[in-house]
Amino acid sequence: MIFQNEPGFPGSSHDSPGGVDLGRVWTSVAAEVWRRHPGRIERTAARLLRSPGLARALVTTPSLLLPWLISTVVVFGAGALISIGPGQPLVWLFAPAAAAVGIAFAYGPGIDPAWELSSSCAVSHRMVLLTRAVAVFVLNSVLGLLASAASGAAVALTFGWLLPMTAVSALALAAAVAARSAVVGAGAGVAAWVITVLAGQSASGQLTASVANAHAYPPYLLVAVCCAAIVMYAVRPERGLM
Amino acid sequence: MNVVLTGIHRSFGKNNAVDGVSLELGPGVFGLLGPNGAGKTSLLRMLATVLPPSSGDILLLERDPRGPAARREIRRRLGYLPQSLGYYPSFTVVEFIEYFALLKEMPSAAVPNAVAAAVERVDLGAKAKAKLRTLSGGMLRRVGIAQAIVNDPDLLLLDEPTAGLDPEQRVQFRALLRSLGETATVIVSTHLVEDVGTACSEVALMSAGKIVFRGTPDELTARGAGRGVGDAPLERGYSAVLSAARS
Amino acid sequence: MDDDELIAALAAGDDTALRELFTRHAPWLAARLRAALPSPDVEDVLQETFLAVWKGAGGYRPRGTPQAWIWVIARNQAALLLRRRGPGTAPLEQTADVGIDPAEAAVVRADIAAALDGPEGQVLRLMYVEDRPVAEVAALLGVPAGTVKSRAHRARSMLRAVLGGTR
Repeated sequence: MIFQNEPGFPGSSHDSPGGVDLGRVWTSVAAEVWRRHPGRIERTAARLLRSPGLARALVTTPSLLLPWLISTVVVFGAGALISIGPGQPLVWLFAPAAAAVGIAFAYGPGIDPAWELSSSCAVSHRMVLLTRAVAVFVLNSVLGLLASAASGAAVALTFGWLLPMTAVSALALAAAVAARSAVVGAGAGVAAWVITVLAGQSASGQLTASVANAHAYPPYLLVAVCCAAIVMYAVRPERGLM
Repeated sequence: MNVVLTGIHRSFGKNNAVDGVSLELGPGVFGLLGPNGAGKTSLLRMLATVLPPSSGDILLLERDPRGPAARREIRRRLGYLPQSLGYYPSFTVVEFIEYFALLKEMPSAAVPNAVAAAVERVDLGAKAKAKLRTLSGGMLRRVGIAQAIVNDPDLLLLDEPTAGLDPEQRVQFRALLRSLGETATVIVSTHLVEDVGTACSEVALMSAGKIVFRGTPDELTARGAGRGVGDAPLERGYSAVLSAARS
Repeated sequence: MDDDELIAALAAGDDTALRELFTRHAPWLAARLRAALPSPDVEDVLQETFLAVWKGAGGYRPRGTPQAWIWVIARNQAALLLRRRGPGTAPLEQTADVGIDPAEAAVVRADIAAALDGPEGQVLRLMYVEDRPVAEVAALLGVPAGTVKSRAHRARSMLRAVLGGTR
């Protein structure tokens, strides 16, 4: 491509001195001066995912950006510190809600203003959605487990919230995608969790019933699987989600 | 042939947005005209592999976009500017174009040079590191054009690209179109008839989901002789064909 | 903005200043370099020059001659390019007449040659610019006359390779 004769190019108003393509030179200089240097996390992600585009999409996830991460850590920290009884810090209560909100804001038609354009790109936006949601979920799980362990919670409460968290997150994502709004997704996830906790308490008299009761596990699993299926169906390539 | 459409239909519920379109396009600049609601945007979205047709066959860059691998290969060589392009306000011009260059799976080593070239081609060199939220509407549109051309596409789809551009910028844009059309198929959808006048080698006019005219801009002008309504010859041809189609 | 202000802006990280500097100075730099190098090499040297200007703007002290500062950078980049190529590269095509006064072209070539750091450049300057005999050069450099002659031979080969002159 020859840019010299196109207006606006530095050097374009001058004749090329002795056949020197000043437009090409400027492009090379500008490329170096303007280039963005990916951080270590992005470079590692690009190698693991075998896709620089997917890695870039991952590190620009709204709920993985530093301000968001800091507030997540604060929430989990609060959960670790606040206890309502011996061996019962509130990590299990906050974790599912935090994850649901994080996942709702990870991606999706509601939150991504350039959705239409992204869906015409080679990197499948389904992959982007999946990668981002998994990353947010894993991060929240790790933070939650650390907070639980640090706060000396009873074993059942240390892990018991993982499955409810999966279910609530899947619900939040499904709602966000279906309603094309991250806020709706976050609200649906948090509301579902609050209802579950209160229902568990009123049924058994124990606040922690929703995570400590093994009978609740199959329904959580069912909800998680159904919502995941809804999400995958909603963003399948053939549908052309607008 | 970069684009081969055979009997394409697309309906949304009872609304037939695209009602039987067949088209074959090679390199060159192709104008898609028509009033709002004629089906131009739906047609463009199908060409951009964002929307599947309800029925009919599509071949883009000699591949069928129904297969995932073929679709991915088409998308690598595609450039698309939607009618309303959302922006990430905190991204800079260069970051935004680079983001889509990466999503289009351009080889990483080629990206910085391609981004710099695209920025200069749309005359935004002085704003390369400005954040998108500080730019005017016309500049944002040019950013959109830049991301569409960054991967040197073989098929370039532009939906209302000149919105917000001043007359001088439109002249530069038409020059850009002409140079791109030398090797690629460029489809420009617009309801501004004069945009296409000098840049397009061929135009098609859509009305109610069908193509009611296809030919050179001069042929469209000829259709308006003594019949159409408008200030400019092309406008008269445009209105003449439309009213004939509606009657 | 004058050149000094532009370079100061560059040092502060303003990339639009580089664009303006390029628009102003790249054409004459290209013409000057073209007197000694073929176009593709001129393009490479210009690219390295402006990147060096970008990185080195912080070290610039305004002395009223920004063009000279930029030329020195360009000349050194040209010498670096030649040194990377090494001696004995195949002769390149005749440099085009770009409207530069032949005397000035000679000055440019001598300038670049002098920037070829090290023994070849020294000998070149002493023997051909200052016109000293071999014995005097040998005494000045503290090396045998034979060494002076072989360095001169290498320097001439390098220049010949660059300038495409007659053997």
